Amino acid sequence: MVSQSLRDCRRALIWWTIGISAFLSVYVNVYNTVKQNPQVYGQVALDKFPGPLKDLMGQSLENFSSGVGFLQGAVYQLFVPFLFAACAMGLANRAVAGPEENGTLELLVTLPVARARLVLQRFAAMALGLLAVAAVTFVLTWLFAEVNEMGIPFGNILAAHLGVYLLGLFLGTVTLAAGAATGRRGVAMAVMGVWAVAGYMVITIGRNVEAIAWLKWVSPFHYYAEGRPLYEGLPVGDYLVLAGATAVLALTAVLSFDRRDVGV
Amino acid sequence: MTAVVQAEGLTKYYGRRRGLEDLTLDIQPGEVFGYLGPNGAGKTTTIRLLLDVIRPTRGLVRVLGADSRDPAVRGRIGYLPGELALEGRERARDYLEFLGRIRGGVPASRLDALAERLDADLNVPMGKLSKGNKQKVGLIQAFMHEPEFLILDEPTGGLDPLVQQEFLAMVREVRASGRTVLMSSHVLAEVEHVSDRVGIVRAGRLVAVENVAALREKAVRRVELHFDAPVPKEAFEGLAGVRDLRVEGAGVSCTIDGRPDALIKAAARFTVVHLVSAEPDLEEIFLTYYSEEDRHHGVAEPA
Repeated sequence: MVSQSLRDCRRALIWWTIGISAFLSVYVNVYNTVKQNPQVYGQVALDKFPGPLKDLMGQSLENFSSGVGFLQGAVYQLFVPFLFAACAMGLANRAVAGPEENGTLELLVTLPVARARLVLQRFAAMALGLLAVAAVTFVLTWLFAEVNEMGIPFGNILAAHLGVYLLGLFLGTVTLAAGAATGRRGVAMAVMGVWAVAGYMVITIGRNVEAIAWLKWVSPFHYYAEGRPLYEGLPVGDYLVLAGATAVLALTAVLSFDRRDVGV
Repeated sequence: MTAVVQAEGLTKYYGRRRGLEDLTLDIQPGEVFGYLGPNGAGKTTTIRLLLDVIRPTRGLVRVLGADSRDPAVRGRIGYLPGELALEGRERARDYLEFLGRIRGGVPASRLDALAERLDADLNVPMGKLSKGNKQKVGLIQAFMHEPEFLILDEPTGGLDPLVQQEFLAMVREVRASGRTVLMSSHVLAEVEHVSDRVGIVRAGRLVAVENVAALREKAVRRVELHFDAPVPKEAFEGLAGVRDLRVEGAGVSCTIDGRPDALIKAAARFTVVHLVSAEPDLEEIFLTYYSEEDRHHGVAEPA
């Protein structure tokens, strides 16, 4: 069942890997230009950016001309996490909601396989698919960082990339759980999209707004970014929270799918 | 012997919309049960309840002697959905093999034999299959593991007549080997030749369960007789089961309820040159049941 699901989405996986890799190879290799023109990308220049934009990019625009600052800003701050989230959303919707909407789930739920098992196997397929994309893009990122002499320890890049994977997996599991509970792709995408975008806003633009600052505790990006893995290595506690929340959501998906009518 | 299906007071509401109300039904091992009714009457709702795709609002259902919620029971069932969806680039054969592996293995020779019988091309990607070929793939996956109980929702839709014949032969073989079939249709003609019993469902309620032979006996059929000379009208009036009598010269036409015996005996006194008896109009059997139901309701309401 797991390998079947993976085979079903192998084209999507390949395209996502190519897409994210293409993004990485363009952006990371721009670093050479940045390094050679610190006056353009340096602190002075960045200070001219409008405040809200700087907020949106978090703290990453500090030291944009340093290797670690550049990699954080160009790769790990905004673009790659959201590319992973979109990829995870696509994979997650192939688990339950997509097949339910196109009708192919009907035959699967009438196989001699418990519903809980079905959901868990599809979750496993999503996790493995996403892991494949993460592994390839990690190797590329590390390679480009080496080639461009960014001077970031291997372990820190691995820690940051693990964060991307866990974040993607968490948001994918949000999609999967919403899809398993409702059977609708639209609802699943909306739930995940709102959670992701709002979560990102809360820890960037909203970080100084007293009224919503507490929301960071439910923002996945808080656990993803605020431990600054690229600078400081593996934030074990934060990542455990992400992984734990993912497990709880997967369980929710199992329980809600197990108790409802399919395809009505 | 345990019944293959035991339903008691089985009821399903979708929100406030009624899907099925108070179904009580037993299907015995080795029988072919035709499940009839117009679209939207509750056939598919019943079938999906048996397979635990949806859950009953009330009532009990046991399948093959076990709780329908037990996944292991589904291993003993073959199911063809009414609205079969097959998608993607995967070849039909690969998908069937995948389903077979989950069902504990199906020999490739059996897949080939079924594909040949139904004249199905399994090398086509599933998304490109025509409606008829999808239906064939659906039938193959339902029959391929030789299940004890086959549940077929509108199985003949989209099949050409030759393949329909082959399919009906497959159903007869299943019965001959002592296994059980539940097949639904909105057209009695599709199931009458293989079914032992039929259940008629309308607006969410099972209104009748009949032996097929008995049902046919109840059928209304149109009969025309032609004689070598004009016949007196009185000779045919007041015969048991004869209605809508018209006598015009040497021709007599009427409809008969049930057995044609009285009419035949009356006609035998003259010289019959030509006899036309239309196949019982099975839709009319439906209508008879339905109008009887209406009559019951009509009587019940003022009281």
